[in-house]
Amino acid sequence: MTVTQEQAAPEQRRHVMQVRKRDGDTEPVDVNKIVKAVERWVADLDEVDPLRVATKTISGLYDGATTAELDKLSIQTAAELIGTEPQYSKLAARLLAAYVDKEVRGQQVASFSQSIRYAHGLGLIGDDTAAFVARHARKLDDAVDPDGDLRFEYFGLRTVADRYLLRHPQTRLVVETPQYWLLRVACGLSRTPAEAIGFYRLMSSLAYLPSSPTLFNSGTRHTQMSSCFLVDSPRDELDSIYERYHQVAKLSKFSGGIGISWSRVRGRGALIRGTNGRSNGIVPFLKTLDAGVAAVNQGGRRKGAACVYLEPWHPDVEEFLELRDNTGEESRRTHNLNLANWIPDEFMRRVEADGDWSLIDPSDAPELPDLFGEAFDEAYRAAEKKAVRTVRARDLYGRMMRTLAQTGNGWMTFKDAANRLSNQTGAPGNTIHLSNLCTEILEVNNDAETAVCNLGSVNLGAHVTADGVDWEKLRATVRTAVVFLDRVIDINYYPAEQAAASNPRWRPVGLGLMGLQDAFFTLRLPFDSAQARELSTRVQEEILLTALETSAGLAARFGPHPAYAETRAAQGRLHPDLWGVEPTQVRRWADLRAAVATHGLRNSLLVAIAPTATIASIAGCYECIEPQVSNLFKRETMSGEFLQVNTYLVGELKARGLWTAPIREQIKRAEGSVQGITELPADVRELFRTAWELPQRALIDLAAARAPYIDQSQSLNLFLSAPTIGKLSSMYRYAWKSGLKTTYYLRSRPATRIQQATVALAPAVTPLVTVADDEALACSLENPESCEACQ
Amino acid sequence: MTTVSESPTDAGTGQRQMLLDPGMDLTLRPMRYPRFFDRFKDAIKNTWTVEEVDLHSDLADLAKLSPAEQHLVSRLVAFFATGDTIVANNLVLNLYQHVNSPEGRLYLSRQLFEEAVHVQFYLNLLDTYVPDERKRFEAFAAVENIPSIARKAEFCFKWIDSIFELRELRTRADRRAFLLNLICFAACIEGLFFYGAFAYVYFLRSRGVLHGLASGTNWVFRDESMHMAFAFDVVDTVRAEEPELFDAELEQQVRDMLAEAVECEVQFAADLLEQGVSGLPLADMREYLRHVADRRLAMLGIEPMYGAQNPFAFMELQDVQELSNFFERRVSAYQVGVTGSVSFDDDF
Repeated sequence: MTVTQEQAAPEQRRHVMQVRKRDGDTEPVDVNKIVKAVERWVADLDEVDPLRVATKTISGLYDGATTAELDKLSIQTAAELIGTEPQYSKLAARLLAAYVDKEVRGQQVASFSQSIRYAHGLGLIGDDTAAFVARHARKLDDAVDPDGDLRFEYFGLRTVADRYLLRHPQTRLVVETPQYWLLRVACGLSRTPAEAIGFYRLMSSLAYLPSSPTLFNSGTRHTQMSSCFLVDSPRDELDSIYERYHQVAKLSKFSGGIGISWSRVRGRGALIRGTNGRSNGIVPFLKTLDAGVAAVNQGGRRKGAACVYLEPWHPDVEEFLELRDNTGEESRRTHNLNLANWIPDEFMRRVEADGDWSLIDPSDAPELPDLFGEAFDEAYRAAEKKAVRTVRARDLYGRMMRTLAQTGNGWMTFKDAANRLSNQTGAPGNTIHLSNLCTEILEVNNDAETAVCNLGSVNLGAHVTADGVDWEKLRATVRTAVVFLDRVIDINYYPAEQAAASNPRWRPVGLGLMGLQDAFFTLRLPFDSAQARELSTRVQEEILLTALETSAGLAARFGPHPAYAETRAAQGRLHPDLWGVEPTQVRRWADLRAAVATHGLRNSLLVAIAPTATIASIAGCYECIEPQVSNLFKRETMSGEFLQVNTYLVGELKARGLWTAPIREQIKRAEGSVQGITELPADVRELFRTAWELPQRALIDLAAARAPYIDQSQSLNLFLSAPTIGKLSSMYRYAWKSGLKTTYYLRSRPATRIQQATVALAPAVTPLVTVADDEALACSLENPESCEACQ
Repeated sequence: MTTVSESPTDAGTGQRQMLLDPGMDLTLRPMRYPRFFDRFKDAIKNTWTVEEVDLHSDLADLAKLSPAEQHLVSRLVAFFATGDTIVANNLVLNLYQHVNSPEGRLYLSRQLFEEAVHVQFYLNLLDTYVPDERKRFEAFAAVENIPSIARKAEFCFKWIDSIFELRELRTRADRRAFLLNLICFAACIEGLFFYGAFAYVYFLRSRGVLHGLASGTNWVFRDESMHMAFAFDVVDTVRAEEPELFDAELEQQVRDMLAEAVECEVQFAADLLEQGVSGLPLADMREYLRHVADRRLAMLGIEPMYGAQNPFAFMELQDVQELSNFFERRVSAYQVGVTGSVSFDDDF
C-alpha cells in the first residue's frame, strides 16, 4: 500500500508538511511511515485500522512540528478511538511503550542492568539494589520479558509512564522502561536472582501488584514502601498536638496515606487550667493540620492526604461534620482533610431506640478512647453525668447522613466490631483507635506507636477463566505475595520513630483483591446473585487461609512476630473463629491450627481490601471488590482524561451485531447504562448493571459474607444517585447490623449535569429507559434534573 | 419533564397573562411556571465556591507548555476575564426586567450569583496565572486591546444595546427584539463562545495539563449548561404563549446572528492557534463551532445550517460520567441540599 501525503490531504498539495526530527533535520511527513510504525503493533489486534490512525494523526499536525510531537499525537489519536473500538487502547499503549523505549535508549541505556547503573549514578537507586543487580546482571537482563508491555492497556501504561518510572533529576527523561521498573521493584525486595525473577514475572503478568509506595520506592534510595499510617490522637496538650503535625508531615512526604484520631483533644469551651482560659476546641487545630497536609507534596507525585477520625461523643462533633462544607466560615473549613466517624455500638443502639446522646469532653473522661465493648458502655454511661450537652441521637445521626450526602465524606466506621473482631486486641490495653485513610486497615496503636501497613492486591480477573477460578494459581500468587509483603517490613524506611516502633513488633500486612467484577463478568454472574456472593466468599476464604499458612511457614523459619503472645491467635482463636463461622476447607484449617500452635504467626494481620484505585488501572482490571461504576466512563487523573469502556459488554454487543454508532450513542446518553437497550436480553442487561443500578443491600451483603475472612477490613464504597436522609440512615444502619467494621465513600451524582456536547439531541423528551419497577432508578438515571420522587 | 404550563387568565382582569407582559408579578402561588422554580432548586444543589478549586499544579504546567500553547492559554484567560461579566450585565439590564414571573426571576437571581462566582473564579485564575501586574492589567483590558476578543465583545454589546432602551415589551416588534437578545445570549454567547472556550480547556486537560483550570471550568460549564437550558425554557414558553412571534423572518435573523457568532469565534480561534498546536488544527475548530451552532439551531427547532460533525474526541469525554480518585483531584459530583429524615425502612 502506498499512500502519499498529497493523496491523504489534497488541500495541502502545494506545500508538503514538514516535521523536525530529533537530530534537528527536517523531512516531509510521510503517511506510510506512520502506517508502518502502527502496523508493527497490531498483529493480534484485528479491529485496528493503521491507516485511520495515520491519516487522523497527520490532519492534527501543523507544519514544522517535531517528530516527538508526531509520536505523541499518534498515541493520542489511537487513544481517542477507544470509545469506538477498545482494541485501540492496546495500540495506544504499545505506541507509548515504543515512545518510552526510545527515550530510554536515547540515553545509551540498552539493558536492565545498564538502566540500574545509570540511575544509581544519578542518585536514584539504593546501593544495595545497585550491587545486587551488578552481581547478577546477566541473569537479570535475560529475565526481561520483551512481550511484557503488550499486556498493558493505555490508561495503565500512561499512568506508569507519567508517574512510576524513575526520571533523570534534571532532564526529566525516564531512565527505565516499564519492564525494567517492575524488575527493579522485585530486585529491591529480593535476596536471590531466582526470587527476583519469580516476583518480577508475577507482577509483569499483572496477576498481582504491590501498592503504589512499593512500586514507587522499592530499590530506590528512599525505601518507604508502606501505604498506610494510623496515628493515635494527640494527647490533650499543646506539645503533643504539634508533635503530631510534625509526624504527619514526615509520613506524608514519603507517599503514605494517614489516618489520625483527634478524640482525646478537649472541645470548645473546656477549661484550660494553665491559663484559666477556655479552649477554642478542635477545629482551629484541624485547620492547621489541613494546611500542613496540603503543603506536603508526596515527592511531586501526588498531594498528601489524611483522614481525621472522631468519636461521636466528642463535644465538637457537629462542627467536625461541617469541616468540608463549601459554605460558611472559611476559617472553620478543611478542604484537604477527609473525615470519618468512629462509632461505638452504644451510639447506634441509642439511634435505634430514639434515645438521648450525651456529648462528653475528653478532659472529663480521658479513658473513653481506649475502651470498647461493655467496658466502653459502662464508662460512657458513668461519664454521662458530666455531659457538656445532650442531643437526640437521631438528630446527630441525621447530620452524619447529611454530611455523607453533601460531601461523600464522614465515613461510618464501627469501633466495637473493629476491636472485637481483631487478632491484635487479645491482651488488655491494646485498642484500635481508628482506621486509615481508606478504611481498610485496623491496627492497634498508641501515643508511642504509629501503626503501619504495606499492601498489595491480587488481580482475581487474572485467575479466572470461563471455566471458573484457577485455585492452584491463586494459592501460588498469595504465597508469593505474602512473602514479599512480609519482606517489606524489614527493608522499609520508616519516616517516623513511632512507626519504626510499631511495625516490627506486629508485622501486619494487607493482602487485598481487585478485579472481582472482572471475575463476575467472565463467569456471567450478576453482582447481586447468590452465586456471586458464594464465589466472593470462597475466594476470600482461600486468600486468608493461604496467607495464614504462608505466615505460619515464615514463623517456622524466622519465629513469630514479637507481639505474638498478645494476639488472639496465641490463644488458639483464628479470625473465622471470632466471627463464629464454619469455613469450608475444614482439613486445611485444622492443619493450619496445628502449625500455628507450634510456630505461631509471622504476621499479626494479613488481609485488607484496599481501594486499589491506581494499581487496578495499571493491571487493567476493575477496582478491588467494587461493581463497575458505568459501562462507559471517564477517568480524570493527573495524567489527563481517559475514556474507559466495558470490554466485556463490547464483546457481548459485537457478538450480537449491536456494537454500532447508534447503540454507543444510546449508552453515552444514558450515562453508561445499558438498561434501555431492549435488543439485549434481560439477563444480559442484568449482568451489566452499574453500581448505581444495583441494590446497595447486595453490596453490603457481599461484604458481610466475606468479612469473616478479612482480618482487617475492606474499603467499601456505597452508591446512591439521589441520596436522601431516609435512604442513607436505613442503609448505614443495615451496614452496622450486618457486622461490617467499616464503610468508605458515599458516591452520589451531581444534581444537574453538563449539557452533552457531542451526542445528538434526545428526540423530544421521551425517557430513554422505561424502568417500571424501580422509580428511584428511573428518575435518578434518566432525568436527575426533574426527579420528584426524591425531593 | 414538565411541559410548559397553560397560561391562566388573570384573576382580576380576566385577561390572559403572558410571560413577557410588562409588570412586576409578585405572586408565587398559584405558580404559573413550576419548571422555572425546579431549575432554581436544582441550581442551588450545584453550589460550589472558588476556594474549592485547587490551582496548585497549574503554574508548573504553564511553564512546561510550548510557546504556541502558552499563547493559546493567555488569550483564553483574557477572554474569560470579561466574558461572564458581560453576561451578568445583560441579565441585569435586560432579562430580569422583562421575564415577568417571580419564579423565573428567582432563577435569574441565582444565575446572577453563579455569574459572579465565575467572575471571581477567573479573577482568581488570572491573578494566579499572571503574577506580573502590568501583564495582568493588560489581560483584564483584553476587550480593548486584543482585536480578536474586541470583535467578540462588540458582537455582545451590539445585542445588549439592541433592547437597552426598551422599558416595556408592548409591541410585537418589542417582543421579537427581546427574543433575539435572549437567544443571542443563550445560543451565541453562552452556547457558542463559551462552548468554544471550553473546548480549548478540555483539549488541554485531555493532554493532562492545567487541572485547576479544567476543574473550575467543569463547574462553570455545568452552570452554563443550566443557564442555557433555562433560556431555552423561556423561549419555549413564549413560543407556546405567542406562537405568532416565531415566523420565518425571526428564524432568518437567528440564523444570521449565529453565522456572525461563528465567524467571530473562528477569527478568535485563528488568533489562539496561530502558532500551530499539535492536535488542534483550525479546520477542526471551525468544524466543531459549526457543529455546536447546528445544535443550538436544533434546540430552537430550526433546521441546521452547516451539517457539521464534532471532530473532537476529547469533547466526547465531557459527555460521560466522571470518576476521580481522591488522591488525584477533588470529585466534583456531590450534591448540596439533601432532604428527608432518619428512618430505618427506606429502600436502598
